[in-house]
Amino acid sequence: MAFNCELKTINAIATISVSGELDRKAAPDFQAKVEEASKQDITALVIDMKELEYMASAGLRVLIFAKQHMPNVTVYVVGAQELVADTIEKTGFNESIVMLSKYDAAIIEKN
Amino acid sequence: MKSLSVPGVLDSLDLIAEYVMEAAAEAGLDKKATYKLRLAVDEIATNIVTHGYEEGGCQGDMDIHSEISDQYLTIYIEDTAREFNPAAKIPEELERVNQPINERIIGGLGIFLVLDGVDDFIYERVGNKNRNTFKSKIPESK
Repeated sequence: MAFNCELKTINAIATISVSGELDRKAAPDFQAKVEEASKQDITALVIDMKELEYMASAGLRVLIFAKQHMPNVTVYVVGAQELVADTIEKTGFNESIVMLSKYDAAIIEKN
Repeated sequence: MKSLSVPGVLDSLDLIAEYVMEAAAEAGLDKKATYKLRLAVDEIATNIVTHGYEEGGCQGDMDIHSEISDQYLTIYIEDTAREFNPAAKIPEELERVNQPINERIIGGLGIFLVLDGVDDFIYERVGNKNRNTFKSKIPESK
């Protein structure tokens, strides 16, 4: 299945929406978007995973990259599907990022 | 089920995933077991392409076949890249070298997802080939 990702930045919050299947072949596209976001002056990075059907460790690697290159930015993962969330939790990544079932402005947009 | 032979490149990952999911459906695996099996095979196939062929400086194929017995769906992948045991302990030298933390973590993550994803995982070196074997239990019919 194809992979697609888009970046939108509003009010110092960058949102990357990912969809389809994120394997090692697709990961560089995701990484490129994270790199683009890291050059912006943002306080939060939101990864919208509502439409993401599958994620391999290559996807986790990009999340590690995000955390390392933006240490002062909070990374949120929003709407991860059950089996994708499962992978994030069993590998302990849920301790490095904030997982939300949906976009919660009260949490994400706090100053 | 028929076998699949694909080039050892990242473009083949999609084809391998399709094959694995078809086999899982035929075996009657549930959604979660199918996802985990697909993930396990994907992690190994990715390693074959990147650590086996690309870093080894050679090209070759990945041959995949499957067997369904009463108890298990078994998937085999064979490749002709250099010997690479995904579950081998990281040599002590690598631990001492100042390797970036993300490289060490990622190596461990992939194999963790493989071992977590299937009921049995076996690596063998058979002649000049690596053979990775994945076994998933077939749910008992009531």
